[in-house]
Amino acid sequence: MIPIDPNASPSALLELIYRLKVKDIMTGQVKSVEKDTSLREIQRIMRENKVSGVPIVEDGRLVGMISVDDIIRALDQGYIDSPAVVHMSRKLVVLEDDMPVSFAISSFEKYQYGRFPVINRARELVGIVTSRDVTSGLLLEMNRSLEEMERVLNLQASPEPIGQVKRVFLVQQFDYENAGRASTELKKILQDRGVDRALQRKAAVASYELEMNLVNHSLGGRLIFHIDDEKATIEAVDQGPGIPDLAKAMTEGFSTANDWIRSLGFGAGMGLPNTKRVSDEFDLQSTVGKGTQVRAVVHLKPQPGDKP
Amino acid sequence: MTFDQVLEAVSGEPAYRSSRWATQTVDHVVTCDLMSDVLVTDHDEILLVTSLPSDQVARTADMVGACGVVLVNGKPPQPSLVELCTHLDLTLILSPLGSFEASWRLGQRLLGRV
Repeated sequence: MIPIDPNASPSALLELIYRLKVKDIMTGQVKSVEKDTSLREIQRIMRENKVSGVPIVEDGRLVGMISVDDIIRALDQGYIDSPAVVHMSRKLVVLEDDMPVSFAISSFEKYQYGRFPVINRARELVGIVTSRDVTSGLLLEMNRSLEEMERVLNLQASPEPIGQVKRVFLVQQFDYENAGRASTELKKILQDRGVDRALQRKAAVASYELEMNLVNHSLGGRLIFHIDDEKATIEAVDQGPGIPDLAKAMTEGFSTANDWIRSLGFGAGMGLPNTKRVSDEFDLQSTVGKGTQVRAVVHLKPQPGDKP
Repeated sequence: MTFDQVLEAVSGEPAYRSSRWATQTVDHVVTCDLMSDVLVTDHDEILLVTSLPSDQVARTADMVGACGVVLVNGKPPQPSLVELCTHLDLTLILSPLGSFEASWRLGQRLLGRV
């Protein structure tokens, strides 16, 4: 049904199907009906909305499902005006919106169903996912990833003036295995250039804070280093979700981190304020729904007005 | 305080000895499980005492220029943490003591009371 084997695919695809969640690919606007709705009415809803299954809910909770096969049977056997509650499927296999897409793929293979209702933690119906949603969701995400890789390759390909270094790193959301690698690389470049230890430390801390922000809070992005004799510039550019309140984000102790991020030792609400603290120049721009750009500069040669 | 003295103070075992083991002097100790807080410390060459056994401990220690890490509570380190400490040439010591006991003993040693 979905030509992807979750156990034997290229690592980039595996990474994608584990990183993407069901809520990222599902259809969220689901037409559902109450259980006393007639099958005839459901047939009309299917026709008008071009869907092959309608969830039946009671107080927002999913209680059953009527498929196009149920409608055909009702027409054939003459009970099309009966209420849904009499004929709906009650033994449903559902997916949770926080499950990885790999789980949805396995479920399609295992049950051979055309669709799965999606519920949230409160067991409320929040969407429906079809095999078509999976393939189109993966294609869109692969397209986005390839565009990002092309952008990085183009940036890397531009010639570096003598004495200047430019590096671009892709940083993935929740990728704790690689989190910090880019900042380690920055520190090594500064070490190799003989930069003062205190300045190495300032640049490395700024970079690491921004890198962990990309991993913990963004949908993924890029960390870009520009280094010359005068300064180290660190840019973090992500694809969302954006920061609704910049003033709050710059307040020490304010954090949107969940318990999981805190259990890893982060999420104290110090990331952006600390980046600003160790930087000689700092700029933050963010648009909700589009993304965030942060630029932090550490002067490698003293300049008037620099912090001690 | 030398690393040998640190080892004795925390009743520890070295999981990795950095190339500076014999020459390094430890003057500041920071005990913390929240890496965000470690990143705001301003002392150079700190010894980080923590009960968090993840890779990010080594990354954080490297960023702030720490000289080593003491992993307390007898927690076994993740293999990747030992690998990373080796790669970064960062001393990693394992201690069966709790955070408070290890910190108190290191403090006594730093203050010359032992």
